[in-house]
Amino acid sequence: MGRILVVDDTMFMRTLLKNILFSGSHDIVGEAENGEDAVEKYKALKPDLVTMDVVMPKMNGIEALKAIMAADPNAKIVMCTAVGQEQMVKLAIKTGAKGYIVKPFQAPKVLEEVNNVLSS
Amino acid sequence: MTQLPVKLEHGGEWVSLKIDLDEEKIVIPEPVSAEIKIKAIDDLEEKKNILIISTKKSETIKLASVPKVLQLLKRAIIMGCTAYRLTAYFMSPAIRGGVMVKDAKWEKGAIAVLKTGIWFVSKEKQICIPLDEVSGIELTKREVQGRENEVVQISHIENEEVITSFVLCPLTTLQILFNYLKDTTKDLDVLSGELDDMSAQVAMLVYSGMDTHAIENMISISNKKIESIYDKLIEKGLVEVVMTRREVKLTTKGVRFVNESVKT
Repeated sequence: MGRILVVDDTMFMRTLLKNILFSGSHDIVGEAENGEDAVEKYKALKPDLVTMDVVMPKMNGIEALKAIMAADPNAKIVMCTAVGQEQMVKLAIKTGAKGYIVKPFQAPKVLEEVNNVLSS
Repeated sequence: MTQLPVKLEHGGEWVSLKIDLDEEKIVIPEPVSAEIKIKAIDDLEEKKNILIISTKKSETIKLASVPKVLQLLKRAIIMGCTAYRLTAYFMSPAIRGGVMVKDAKWEKGAIAVLKTGIWFVSKEKQICIPLDEVSGIELTKREVQGRENEVVQISHIENEEVITSFVLCPLTTLQILFNYLKDTTKDLDVLSGELDDMSAQVAMLVYSGMDTHAIENMISISNKKIESIYDKLIEKGLVEVVMTRREVKLTTKGVRFVNESVKT
């Protein structure tokens, strides 16, 4: 069980992720629709884990990841990308992301990845 | 010639015998007494530990054995039978349900496209993707040893999980493989624009494992609306009904029972 911040610019994806995470007994402590908002909410809410979309307006997921890692080097962030954005994923992992999921995703696998990262 | 112990289906029964295998043929002793040229084989299917071998003459041989024996047989058949075959690197499985497989690696081997399935063959493994379970074929880019390369991405369904594999080979061959696979599985294609946004969202939610009640709540639509979207998806062959949920209301007897049950 973890306290999770869901970051994605589309409400549809946020709602889907929230549903999946909630069904896995996780608490959703907040949601953000861009990188800037995510960094602010991370500092305010101190979640156990963040699911972070890569392509977002204002500040993208990679920049937000860097900002969060700078503020908290122990942050657990799972990147959420579309197929074809694997280059971004590599950069994200180098920057400190602990896991990544590829859209479209299936609920059991998302929970597996999130639980793995939470227990790491 | 290698002798292999198998159980072979003959006359409706499973018979234990030892078959002989070499690069060109499989020799089956009595009571079957048959010789099958590997080149005459045009399809191979695997169902649990049973191999189904089909020949150009429409003969079908079903045999079962231990994994090690089946591995030898599969390798000999896939590498020698009549099929579209090419040398390539493959990574399978690479993604399961949207999550990268942690220990996935590129393996050198061959890809063979048979009548009913795509086979990945390397020294260590033989993986079959049944063609009727292929959910997507795409040409995409992927970083391999620090360089960006074009790869063919094949997704298929296995035990309700979406599994993605990648194939890497020279670009011209890759294009031929992509076109061949696209053509072979064209019946499963859905034209973009065939579905409205709402129906596409519902399809995505079903993919992610959401049930009807969750979908209704998530995108705030009525049961009537979701039923009409389901009808559309069923008509296009995109979903199938697995369960019909009933809605009920209490009868007078039911109301009486509930009232009684709350009395202390």
